[in-house]
Amino acid sequence: MSSPHADVQPVDTRRVDAREKVTGAAVYATDLHPDQLAHAVLATATVGRGRITGLDTAAAEAVPGVLLVLTHLDHLDLQSPGFVMGGGYGVQSLQPLLDEHIAYRGQAVALVVAETLIAATQAAKLVRADYEPEPFAVTLDSPGVERLSQPAVIPLPFLADLDVGDAESAYAAAPVQIDAVYDQPAQHQNPMELIGATVWWRGDTVVVHEGTQNASAIRHGLARQLGIDPANVEVVSPYTGGGFGQKNSLQIHIAPLAVAARRLGRPVKLVVSRTQLFHHTSFRPASRHRIRLGADEHGRMLAALHDVEHQTSRFDLFPMMYTETTARLYGIGDFRGRQTFARMDTQSPGFMRAPFEHPGVFAFESAVDELAYAAQRDPLEFRLANDTTADPVTGEPFSSRHLAQCLRRGAKLFGWSARQWQPASMRADDGSLVGWGVAAGAYPASIVPSAAHLVASADGRIRVGVDGHEMGQGIRSAIALLVAENLGLDVRHVEITVGDTRVATQHLTAGSWGTASTLGAVHAALRELRKQLGADVSGPVDLAAAVGATGREHVESRAETLGPGQTEQDAERARQGLVALAGPEFTGYSTFSWIAHFVEVRVEPTTCRIRVPRVVSVADCGRVASPVTAASQVRGGIVWGIGACLREAGEVDPRYGGWLNASLEEYPVPVNADIGTLDVDFIGEPDLRFHPVGVKGLGEVSMVGVAAAVANAVYHATGVRHRRLPIRIEDVLAGTGLPEPRL
Amino acid sequence: MAATEPVYEVELSCAVNGEPVHVRVDTRESLLDLLRERLGVTGAKKGCDHGQCGACTVHLDGRRVVSCLTPAVQAAGADVTTVEGVAGPDGELHPLQQAFIDHDALQCGYCTPGQIMSGLACLAEGHAGDDDEVREYMSGNLCRCGAYAGIVAAVRAVAEQQGR
Ligand code: FES
Ligand code: FES
Repeated sequence: MSSPHADVQPVDTRRVDAREKVTGAAVYATDLHPDQLAHAVLATATVGRGRITGLDTAAAEAVPGVLLVLTHLDHLDLQSPGFVMGGGYGVQSLQPLLDEHIAYRGQAVALVVAETLIAATQAAKLVRADYEPEPFAVTLDSPGVERLSQPAVIPLPFLADLDVGDAESAYAAAPVQIDAVYDQPAQHQNPMELIGATVWWRGDTVVVHEGTQNASAIRHGLARQLGIDPANVEVVSPYTGGGFGQKNSLQIHIAPLAVAARRLGRPVKLVVSRTQLFHHTSFRPASRHRIRLGADEHGRMLAALHDVEHQTSRFDLFPMMYTETTARLYGIGDFRGRQTFARMDTQSPGFMRAPFEHPGVFAFESAVDELAYAAQRDPLEFRLANDTTADPVTGEPFSSRHLAQCLRRGAKLFGWSARQWQPASMRADDGSLVGWGVAAGAYPASIVPSAAHLVASADGRIRVGVDGHEMGQGIRSAIALLVAENLGLDVRHVEITVGDTRVATQHLTAGSWGTASTLGAVHAALRELRKQLGADVSGPVDLAAAVGATGREHVESRAETLGPGQTEQDAERARQGLVALAGPEFTGYSTFSWIAHFVEVRVEPTTCRIRVPRVVSVADCGRVASPVTAASQVRGGIVWGIGACLREAGEVDPRYGGWLNASLEEYPVPVNADIGTLDVDFIGEPDLRFHPVGVKGLGEVSMVGVAAAVANAVYHATGVRHRRLPIRIEDVLAGTGLPEPRL
Repeated sequence: MAATEPVYEVELSCAVNGEPVHVRVDTRESLLDLLRERLGVTGAKKGCDHGQCGACTVHLDGRRVVSCLTPAVQAAGADVTTVEGVAGPDGELHPLQQAFIDHDALQCGYCTPGQIMSGLACLAEGHAGDDDEVREYMSGNLCRCGAYAGIVAAVRAVAEQQGR
């Protein structure tokens, strides 16, 4: 073995777990097939809301190989896990299978367990339920939707109305005004890895393998549900096959699986079908945004009013923070934000990549584009002219804001100066309408308590056990690079364990705080390790020699870190598996990540098909912790923004409830042929005021603003503004004034 | 009456990554479930079970198929290759696997086994002539992480190595 010595070769920045992933060696939760494994399948409700009046499981139980059919008649004796955004752990507070009430179509009514997947599938179809249906509402416009002002029902400071200056008067006095409503659909995360788990008992300990972003919530939530000590719950999640927010809390199938595994004395595996998934767990809520913007004749923005309503379930209030970000995009002195719940009959919505920032900024950056055109300005110049260095909400400085640099560098890379201002004025050789659009994006920087445990060995290797989850964002690579660069090691000598409650608390990894939080803890543990080894505070360390010199096989260090301003109370919340965030407002400053996107669209004039041949995005995420995986993150965010703008909508059925297009065929996500050239660049300035190694978040800001840039480009290509997503062929066709095609 | 329905089972012989396999299968069983749940060959992934995502792509006698829509019985007498059978016996990576690493053609890795199997087929079919052709012929494999640019670059890099 080569000695992992200092200053030998340049650091290899490629993704550190790529080899396992290209060979099939990476083991995901439902790849496990322990001895005696039994298979579970769910049966689900077929009414939009109501009560089960009769349940017949005899035919299901008679299928050869069926071991168990669990329904509400079996007294599962489970507590509610509580809602993850309401002081609990669950994807929603409602635990199905406990009583006869059906709150939404697709709610689980039975868990069928059998020797084989085929028997379980067959039996689940034979579960019969009779219902007494009740009226329900599933769209923002349905009768029966209940509206509640957010601050009235959740009086927490960070969810309050936003009132900076006097936006109403400033708007009324503004000579140039925009007043528009932007509608955005529900959307479904659809990570490629289906949600599912393999669960078994080892004595009194329940072992859960599930792809997750929040192993601690599974641990503590399941303990609460079963009434057992969290010490008796082990959660293991080395690889999550995409999360995007959908895997950020305890899913509703885990507790029933634990009950089934205990009753059978066998491991049980469930893989929720793609169609069931649309009803089984969280989704991005539909939202409606009214934006009013005012500017003066010189293109200076004076006032903004952002009123939002978004859907939530009857039993949980999914809090919203749209205006937190839209208030920070520009130096607008007078801003008003209002946020309202619309309660209806679905499962609880939740987080999906850039949960508020994507829809909020789509609306806001569309309106800014409208305002720029109303003021007869170039949309790039207009944005640059309204930049700010201070946070308009708090009056304090931003710890870093390189948005103008993102816009300028992006414009140069894109060739913006060749753009003609007039809409519908640019054409490609093949006759396509060409549109160039720009939009900015931002995302709040948050940070959470984190923990790291380092074990350096006499063979020159180092093991890192951390608080964090790998969902593909590249946290392993960022950690490996930090350790390798810090100690002057070969990255291959850094072994990393993530997503495992046996090595560390596993706080929710989401909200783009994962890398910053985890790297903070690893950085602190490295400092401690250097002390233990008697090494200098910086510079390369010959680990094998240094450990050898101590006369021990291993030298360990541990660190627990908090975000700026956090206290032991936050650390305790994290240890309890609860969310414990700080940010984006800190003492004396605010922190956001920033991005600028430039998009070219081509609109084919007869079919009205929109293509996106190229995108340029430049991000300010502080120090780029892992350049290869960071660039992939941004490309992924662009793909998501294109999907959100042109493809994705969860369609509900107001007559029957439930999601209609619940498959990957009918809920189209971008495919390879939808994506053209993506150019990604970073400002790369470390933000040392916010973070010890200068890292801000990236995964979500990468998506924020993309949809607006695409829609702004469609406007530039066609001269027609679209205010409802997704923008489909029929919308463009309607805007052209061409006759509707006859079928 | 479902309970008295006959259960159809047949003997199946095939080869999986060169290893002979003899097994009784239910005629309703998919090749994907046979591989994953019965044989413990879990490289091929389930992303939809409906032929819509490509995560389960394997080669059946050298042709790419979505194994979730392929009845297990259809593999009778066939050579099945999954991602586990792509690297050399000594663990040496296939150039396409290496190219996926070099071009970061993956994030979470869940779609990757299917992408690799489709990418190999795309090359073998002669459908890797330029970027747009690769985009088209790789569009049966969804990547929700959005690693498409890297996937195209990886397939094209190998096509160029192979002089296509
Ligand atoms: S699992 Fe076979 S195509 Fe999706
Ligand atoms: S790498 Fe995650 S779905 Fe493709």
